Amino acid sequence: MGAQSTGTRTRPPSGSTPPTPPPPADRGRTAGGLAARGAPYLLILPALLATAALLAYPLLRNLLISFQNLNAFQLIQHTTEWTGFGNYTDQLTSSAFWHTAFRSVLFTAANVALIMAGGTLVGLLLNRLGKRMRLLLSLGLILAWAMPFVAGTTVYQWLFDSQYGVVNWGLAKLGWHAMAGYNWFGGQFSTFSVITVMIVWQSVPFVALNLYAGLTTISAELFEAARMDGATAWRTFRSVTFPILRPFFLSTTFLEIIWVFKAFTQVYALNAGGPAGSTETLPVYAFIEGVGNQHYGVGAAISTLTILILLALMSYYFRIILKQEDDL
Amino acid sequence: MRKRRAAIAVLGATVMAVSVAACGSGKSDKASGPGDFKGKTLTVWLMSGSNPPGWTKDITAAFEKKYPGAKLSVQVQQWNGIQQKLTTALSEDTPPDVVEVGNTQTPYYAATGGLMDLTGDKAALGGNDWTPAMNASAVYQGKQFAAPWYFSNRVVVYNKKIWADAGIKDTPRTQDDLFKDLDAIKAKGTQDALYAPGQDWYSFDGFLLDAGADLVRKNGDSYVSNLDSPQAAAAVNLYKKLNSYGTAPKDKDEATPQQSDVFAKGDVGAFIGFGWEAAGAIAKNPQLKDEIGYFPIPGRTADKPARVFLGGSNLAVSQASKNPELAKDFLKLALSDQFEGELAKEGGVIPNKTSLDSNLAGNPFATAASTAAANGGTTPLIPAWGNVENKPNPISTIFMTGVLQGQDPSAAAKQADAEINKRLSQKQ
Amino acid sequence: MRRSLLGRVWPNAVAVLLFVFFVFPVYWMATTAFKPDIDIISRTPDFVPLHGTLAHFDKAVHASGFWTLVRNSFTVTLGAVLLSLAIALLASFALARMRFRGRKAFVLVVMVAQMAPWEVMTISVYMIVRDQDQLNSLLPLTLFYMMMVLPFTIWTLRGFIAAVPKELEESALVDGCTRVQAFGRVVFPLLAPGLMATSLFGFITAWNEFPLVLILNKQSGQTLPLWLTQFQTNFGDDWGATMAASTLFTVPVVIVFLILQRKAVGGLTAGAVKG
Repeated sequence: MGAQSTGTRTRPPSGSTPPTPPPPADRGRTAGGLAARGAPYLLILPALLATAALLAYPLLRNLLISFQNLNAFQLIQHTTEWTGFGNYTDQLTSSAFWHTAFRSVLFTAANVALIMAGGTLVGLLLNRLGKRMRLLLSLGLILAWAMPFVAGTTVYQWLFDSQYGVVNWGLAKLGWHAMAGYNWFGGQFSTFSVITVMIVWQSVPFVALNLYAGLTTISAELFEAARMDGATAWRTFRSVTFPILRPFFLSTTFLEIIWVFKAFTQVYALNAGGPAGSTETLPVYAFIEGVGNQHYGVGAAISTLTILILLALMSYYFRIILKQEDDL
Repeated sequence: MRKRRAAIAVLGATVMAVSVAACGSGKSDKASGPGDFKGKTLTVWLMSGSNPPGWTKDITAAFEKKYPGAKLSVQVQQWNGIQQKLTTALSEDTPPDVVEVGNTQTPYYAATGGLMDLTGDKAALGGNDWTPAMNASAVYQGKQFAAPWYFSNRVVVYNKKIWADAGIKDTPRTQDDLFKDLDAIKAKGTQDALYAPGQDWYSFDGFLLDAGADLVRKNGDSYVSNLDSPQAAAAVNLYKKLNSYGTAPKDKDEATPQQSDVFAKGDVGAFIGFGWEAAGAIAKNPQLKDEIGYFPIPGRTADKPARVFLGGSNLAVSQASKNPELAKDFLKLALSDQFEGELAKEGGVIPNKTSLDSNLAGNPFATAASTAAANGGTTPLIPAWGNVENKPNPISTIFMTGVLQGQDPSAAAKQADAEINKRLSQKQ
Repeated sequence: MRRSLLGRVWPNAVAVLLFVFFVFPVYWMATTAFKPDIDIISRTPDFVPLHGTLAHFDKAVHASGFWTLVRNSFTVTLGAVLLSLAIALLASFALARMRFRGRKAFVLVVMVAQMAPWEVMTISVYMIVRDQDQLNSLLPLTLFYMMMVLPFTIWTLRGFIAAVPKELEESALVDGCTRVQAFGRVVFPLLAPGLMATSLFGFITAWNEFPLVLILNKQSGQTLPLWLTQFQTNFGDDWGATMAASTLFTVPVVIVFLILQRKAVGGLTAGAVKG
């Protein structure tokens, strides 16, 4: 195993076990010495240049802005006002920032857990379905994934509207009459619930479809053997599926953590972080303070802190993934 | 389409001023003759919904006729993200020459230095006749940074049939009468005698103004929030009572769902809103066409209607405009009695001079609205106010919703005040 | 494989329920687009719009400059996706197949690049583009969208390349192919599913991007996400038109998916036969 760090893999053309990439043997096959040693650098050069110019440079500018007082006035007048660490100390000493950060971490953990669990179950189901049902469900997943955010958030607002929402209507029809007119956006927990349903709805397709693609690479004989041994479904998953697809789970969880942590549109558009700011997450907070209030320096400082928090959260993952690189 | 319009304008211009057209020699150091405008394009940013089609067509033709060779490019801007768009645009080398700025936003942008000082041009723009309440927002630190363009304010839009069925003959003149009427409608079994969503904070601001207070008060050199005051408590309690006359949500504003859509169903007695909302309701349900009536929000006494929040827009010239003279010329044209009047007539908005109110004849909404407009007020005209209105707005989300959901006004006000004061004290 | 009746029924039943869960919001969007205004908000939901109208679609398509926006959106999105695929193919090949000094550092760069907070970086990107005098142009948009999807593209493709058995490539080399030829004839066809997954992701990301185009291209070079929001104004939100526009906006993504899906399957079998 080892080298593969993402789940979707091609079906091996022959043989029944997933391919194990052989140890690198790159020396001296083609043009020899210098050219071969230079080749990898030439290959990654375009990516490095693009990253430097289009990402590192804007990030650096963002970092510089975080040490400035940059509002509409300074932007229009093209003036620069340095404030040192002012924006940072303001944030680090504000309880709003720490509450929001803490909330963001919990929110991410809950959502990623649900997405990974849900996505895995849907992916396993896809693998078990017949061809037609599989196509149907895949189409449903793709449609949910492809729906634009603007439409998605609007539709969710309607679905959960207290007076005219289909959800309340359906719950009341099913006999839960107290839900008629229930106000989903009136409280922190219920607002988060709606946001979570929406994020899970949008994210499960990615996990499920990729997991299914990964599952198709596992030979049916392995599952058959497990069944012969009388293994339960859970045991089969634990001792066959999961170990083989461990890199998939690792990197998908990694991506989902980043995506959920950074989720902005869904949280902002549904209830603008309300009621009374109780569902603001860090990106929403950064946007409201930075872009919405046009205090770009403050926003930049919050975004820098957000990256640092994310890096800290991810350090465990970085270690695992980099360790995998050693195994190459 | 624009090309054809320009062609017509050029044709008109050649008929009108053959001799001038011959001398378009190009130099344009001094604005001396119409030939100097050759090849220039004046970019005007207007907000979506502000410029009715007939008005736009006419003013474009008139402008290109008056300044031969010049082109008028009206670019309609969407509301979504307009602040960032405006701020960044004003920072550029070639910003739009003329921009429409909301009246409550004008002090903010005046303070950024992005708008041109028009003090010297005020008289030429007709400024001596502007209604003072409407010009207030265009003045910052004693200087004229914009020109008042058009205004509107909320009235009570009601369903005549439902009111008649409840046995009501005249529209109410006092708030007590209004509540009596709403009680009567409710007694008739109408679920929504009045649809007043809990976060329509502009309506609340009107009641606050009517109670004799402002959203902020001066505290030494700075401004602080004024929600924890007896007047604000009275205003929000009044609003809470209005909200209780229907099923409107306590934590949504008038756009979610659009209150006119709710009204269009025909089973709502009334709502507080604008003429365009009523028009929207009629578009959705044509049967309402002859059923909709309007009256100003009643005051506490019968002698005058309640004070209202005066919404509206100003026109400003960007400081970095490459065509400042032409931009001012456009302002002159747009604010002339002819085009200001046409806008009022076609758009159903209240013009910047009371002398032009005659254009509102035959428009029952605007007629009802204009009786309260001269007495209207706005949000505080200080640059930092823009911060307070940013989403999520503490006035509506913390204070109004809090009180409507049962919180004590003073407790909700303290919570909202903390957030508002934080935003008011932010560095500019 | 024999399964009990229950064992055969429940997966299908669950699949149908899940299908409803995933599709319902999309269905609601599409049907709302056909509903006359008066039926859009209703206390008893109208699940099947029997008295449908095309008025909202008509309005959406006749918004000013619609076809220019369509062209711009396709130019920018396809440009960004293809460019990122090209750059990523090179880099991910190096990552998957070669060992070199700085390799781990590069992996780290790719992972960190994944975390870039683009929503809040808009102002610094804006200032860079403004100072380069490149506002209102499609080029910076294409480049930055490319950058938004590049880390993911490298990340995913590298896994796909690693999964292609190296023996296949080596046997091609033995047959006298050059390394480039071996890649083109053996590895590339096997990468089809990977290219599909990554281009679909890139397509959706670039196709939907809003905050950057909002402030970069105010006068020209605008794209469809701006059009999507223009039916919501201070003078009333036209939800019917918004939903019609959103429905139209979703169509290309679904088409891209269907095309890629077929290609992917084709590429897979072709590769297997060759191997």
